[in-house]
Parts: sequence; structure tokens; C-alpha cells
Amino acid sequence: MQSETQCLYEQRLTRYVTALYNGKPDRIPLRVFAEEFAAKYCGYTNYEVAVNHELQFDANRQFAAQTGIDAVQTNSVVNWFGMQKAIGWDGITFPGIGLSVDDVNQWSEPTTEEEAFLKATEYDEFIDDPTAFLVTKWFSRFTRHINPPGGLVTFEHNISFINGLMAYNKFFSTWGAKTGELIEAGVVPAVGSVLKAPLDLMGDKLRGYVNLCFDLHERREQVIKACEGLMPHLLNLVLGGADPDGNIPSIIWMHRGSVPFISQRDFKEIYWATLKPILEELWSHGHQIIFYAEGNWDHHLESFAELPEKSIIFHCDKTDIFKAHKILGEKFCISGGIPNELLSMGTVKEVQQRCKEVIDAVAQDGGYIMDASALIMNDAKIENVKAMIDFTLDYGTYSQAGISSSSLEDMKNIAKPAPSGLKYPEQKRKPGVCIPWEEKRNELPGFEGDERLARKVWEEVDGMGYGYCWVNLTW
Amino acid sequence: MSVQILEEIFKCISEGDRQLVKGKVQAALDAGLSPERILQEGMISAMAEVGRLFEAGEYFVPEMLIAASSMQEGLQILRPHLAETGIKPIGSVVIGTVKGDLHDIGKNLVAMMLEGAGLNVVDLGVDVPPEKFVDAIRLDQGDVVAMSALLTTTMANMKTAIEALKQAGLREKVKVIVGGAPVTDSFARKIGADGYAEDASRAVRLVESMIC
Repeated sequence: MQSETQCLYEQRLTRYVTALYNGKPDRIPLRVFAEEFAAKYCGYTNYEVAVNHELQFDANRQFAAQTGIDAVQTNSVVNWFGMQKAIGWDGITFPGIGLSVDDVNQWSEPTTEEEAFLKATEYDEFIDDPTAFLVTKWFSRFTRHINPPGGLVTFEHNISFINGLMAYNKFFSTWGAKTGELIEAGVVPAVGSVLKAPLDLMGDKLRGYVNLCFDLHERREQVIKACEGLMPHLLNLVLGGADPDGNIPSIIWMHRGSVPFISQRDFKEIYWATLKPILEELWSHGHQIIFYAEGNWDHHLESFAELPEKSIIFHCDKTDIFKAHKILGEKFCISGGIPNELLSMGTVKEVQQRCKEVIDAVAQDGGYIMDASALIMNDAKIENVKAMIDFTLDYGTYSQAGISSSSLEDMKNIAKPAPSGLKYPEQKRKPGVCIPWEEKRNELPGFEGDERLARKVWEEVDGMGYGYCWVNLTW
Repeated sequence: MSVQILEEIFKCISEGDRQLVKGKVQAALDAGLSPERILQEGMISAMAEVGRLFEAGEYFVPEMLIAASSMQEGLQILRPHLAETGIKPIGSVVIGTVKGDLHDIGKNLVAMMLEGAGLNVVDLGVDVPPEKFVDAIRLDQGDVVAMSALLTTTMANMKTAIEALKQAGLREKVKVIVGGAPVTDSFARKIGADGYAEDASRAVRLVESMIC
């Protein structure tokens, strides 16, 4: 017999997935991305959750369970001092360590050619073998302690790799256990694996946005080839971590592809041209993805409408949610649209009014998930976030029962068009591989037993190393 | 010849040719054109055109950035000559990202565009505490204070900085403008700022309207 929380979990999962597939559940699902707000809600400082990774999970679970929302990110702030500073990431600053305990963690990126993690003259090398470039060049620039090949192999160098990897394993083993605790509490983990657009990654973690802007004019063809070269690796990562049941969507954090960060031409010829094929492949494997569209994407809604029906969930930050609903609502679920400024500086009445406007205009036929426009930080007033939740629990109920789980399976089981395929320059190393078995095999003595057993283990371990390298880049 | 070289400088900057612009500015100087004329007719006018194209939706941040970078390249050649002739900037702006906020791309772009319009810019950097803005104004470094914030959590620190200027008795001495992704015109008015600009081009026009 199912426990009360098991029943609650099933009910919430069905509600969430029904809306994700643009259907009409019994009530508008609440999927609230509470970042530092979850810490505030539970009485922790931002510093405490930055250094204590277990609190990051516990805060979100407590927040979700106490407020009655349906789905939440398993982890609230995702960045953990222990993991990122062990290997020496300089690009992130944590609250309480160089900032006040109640500031939020913040990323910085290269702004000059000297600071770039990929130099302008290294494009061809990167395009030829991106994984080797990460290991031989990128790590030594992105992290404080790692030395490049040919440099001194110091105590600090070796211990940084060891500690970094140990902390990474600790973080993700905690992730698995805490996901179980979340489900036991009756709350749905809202998202699965993570994707970034190739051009976003070029800006954030390789060239820096400013250098990339110059490159778009001065070495455009190389930028295009580099983005194409990233495609199979990013697909490999997002597919590898996607929910095998096809319930929980993956997520893409999109930020610099919108106006005015790049031109319409750059969007069409580079950003979208190298992102769309990944999304089509992902969908052909049965996985949806949340477009967490940071900023204003009004200019590109027609492009998103080209994607297969139900393949994405479009999240509105500064995008006009009413326009998004008009252009995308027939094909896709929409989420968000409650401005963070309102949650921070508005009144309960103003929050309720905005929720009503959005629900009335966007959610009448289902296919809408309530959430703030952006990740909620600790400036949001607790009464305002609760007003968003309580109003939706009350006003967001449809006059019908939810659908059954068998109907839900039917809803998910729709024809998926064949993807157009990824086209990218030939690379020395295949996606998913650092050292291929053929190479490893050559350094070993002859096999007495079944070589296939050893090969399987080698490829699994090598794949984990590959994953670690690439997750460092895509984090 | 003189008109042609000025047109070439204009083109280099407005179309973002960073490689050629230095040589063109040097050629203009060699041809006997006054530094002030090169600055005004070749360079500042080009940046004004870039701003116009941005506001018209024909240019985007990359086009603006590369134009501003080209302007900086040209200024490297021109600056010593401007100093010799005693030409003063049309005004001065103290700029910074407020306390608790480490984002600087938007702030840097505004600073570059202000310089491109012939203004002197005193860049205080990121995570700037209110007293640092106060000190800069006390030292007569700016006619305008420009503050940036990218986070809703740090917007309130704009108000704190304005209050600090008031407490130091300096508020009447300067204009204060604010900007950044979450900042709005109504927020600017609410905290007692003199102006808000939604992008770098409009920030230039706003500052010009305040000091000219």
C-alpha cells in the first residue's frame, strides 16, 4: 500500500508531466526555482548553503514540502565551495568569502585576450580535438592550481586534481541520495540533465563574451566551426544524464543568444543553427527540455516554433509571456512570467494580481507551469513568494480531474520526427572518449581471458573521466 | 584629402575595423588635421552613428563593442596630441557596479561608449561601496555618477549610495544615473536617481543631456 507521500508524489508527477506535455491537469503545477530564497526561507545564510552542500538540498526540500509546491530543483544553489575551490575555479566568488554572507554567488568571465581560456590563435587546435584541448590547455587556465603539460608537476597541481575529483564524487553521490529524499517527501525533482548552447559556452567558459563579440566579426568561420565542434559533446552530456523514463525534462540555461547580445544574423547562423540539431536529437530519444530563457527572447519566438510539438517547455523571464503564449502555446508548455522585481519589491496584492493576469491569459487550456521569471534569490519577500504559491493553489485549479497515468503515457507516446543530424568538423577523438581502447590495448600484455570484459570496464572508466572534464567546462 | 581621411576614420570606427584605425588617425595627423577635428568629425561622430544604429535595432552589442574598441585604438594615437593642444573632455563621469555585485560587462560597455562621446570616465570597478562613490565626488572627479547592478539583490545598494552622497552633502553637486538588467525607470525615480538608461547608447545621450 502506498504511503500518503507516495500518493502525493504520484499525483504531483502526473500533474507536472501533463502540463509539460501541454495538457490540462487538475491544477496548474507549481515548479518554483528557489535559489538562495530557499536558504532564506529555512533560516540559513547564503554563506552557509555555499559551503555546506547538504543544506543546499535540504533547504529546497523543506521549502517545497512546507509550501506545497509540486516540483523543485533537487539542489537550490548548485555551486558548492568544496567542489569548485578544491580544483581551484577562480571564476566563481562565494558569499561570505570575498562577499558578504548574504550576497549571492557570482561568476566572472574573461574580458581580455590575455584572460581568455581559449586564445584567438588556438581555434583550429580546439576544433581539431576539443577534449584534448580541455585537458592540455583549458584546465590550466580555468583553475588556479593546475599546471599545463610541460609545466611543473607540483604537489598543489596533483592534489588539486585529486581533491577536485573526490569532492565532485561526493557532491553527486549526495545528489542521488537527496533526490531520493525529495521523492520520499512527495516532491518531484523538476529537472534532469543540463545543456548549454554552443555559442553561450564559447562566451562563458572559453573566450569570454567580449572576446567572442570581436571574434564574430574578425574570425566568424572559426567561431562557427568551434560551435559545431561542441555539438556532439554537448549532446553526449545531456543525453547521458537524461531521465530514462522520459518524465523529467532536461534544462538549457540560455542567456546570450537574445537581443541585444547578438544580432539576428548571429542568432540564425550560429546560435540557433548549432543548438537546434541538439534539441532535435534529444527529442528523438524521447527527452523534453526546458528552455530557461534568461532575458528577453521576443525576437526569436518564431524560430523556437520550428521545433517538434511538445519537445520543449518555454520559460519566460523578460520575454513577453502573452506573446510567447500566442506564438508557442499551441505546441509547447509555457512557464514563469512572475517578475522577480515584483517578488522582491511588490506587495502581496500586486503579486496576486500578476498571477491572475498570467493564469487568465496563458493557462486556460493547461500547458502552463507557475514559477517566477528567474531564479529566486534572497531579496524576494517570503510573503510574496507564498502569495504566488497560495494564489495558484487556489485560483489555479481546473474544473476537471487530472488524467490517469495510462492516459499520460499515451500523451507522451507521440510520433517524433527524425532529427536532421549533427554536422560538425571531423575530430581526432570521438565524443565520450579520452583514451580509446585501441590505444590502451597496445600498452597491455596479451589477454588470456575475454578481452571484451576488460574493454567494457576501460570504456566505462574512461567515459567517466571524459564526463568530468566536460562537466567542468559546461557547469 | 582631409575630408576623405576623416571619412575613412569614421568608417573604420563605425564598422569596427580595429586593425586599420590607428594608421588612419596617424595619417590624418600627418596630413596636418587638427586633433580636435579628427576627434570630433572622424571619431565622436562615428560613435554617435553607432549609437543611432543600435537604437534603431540595426546594431547589437557586438557591433557596439567592436566600434568602441576601434575608438579606443584610435584614441591611443590621438590622446597625446589632444593633451598638447589642451583640449578638455566635455565632462566627467564616475562609474561603478554597486556593492555586492561583481558584474562588469554592461558597466564597461557604458564606460567605453561615454569615452567614445568625448567624456572623461573614472571607472571605480565592481563591488563599489557607497563611500568610494562619495570620495570620488569629493575629489571633484565627476559631474555624473553612473551606477550599475545586474542582480535584484544588489539594486538596493544604489539607494544606499545615493543616501551616502546626500549625507556627505554632495548630492546637489552631481547627477546620478542608474542602469542594469533588473533596473527600471520607476525604480530609478523611487530611489531618487536623476535618470535611468536601458542601454549604453541611451546612457550617453542621458549624460549629454545632463551636462551640456
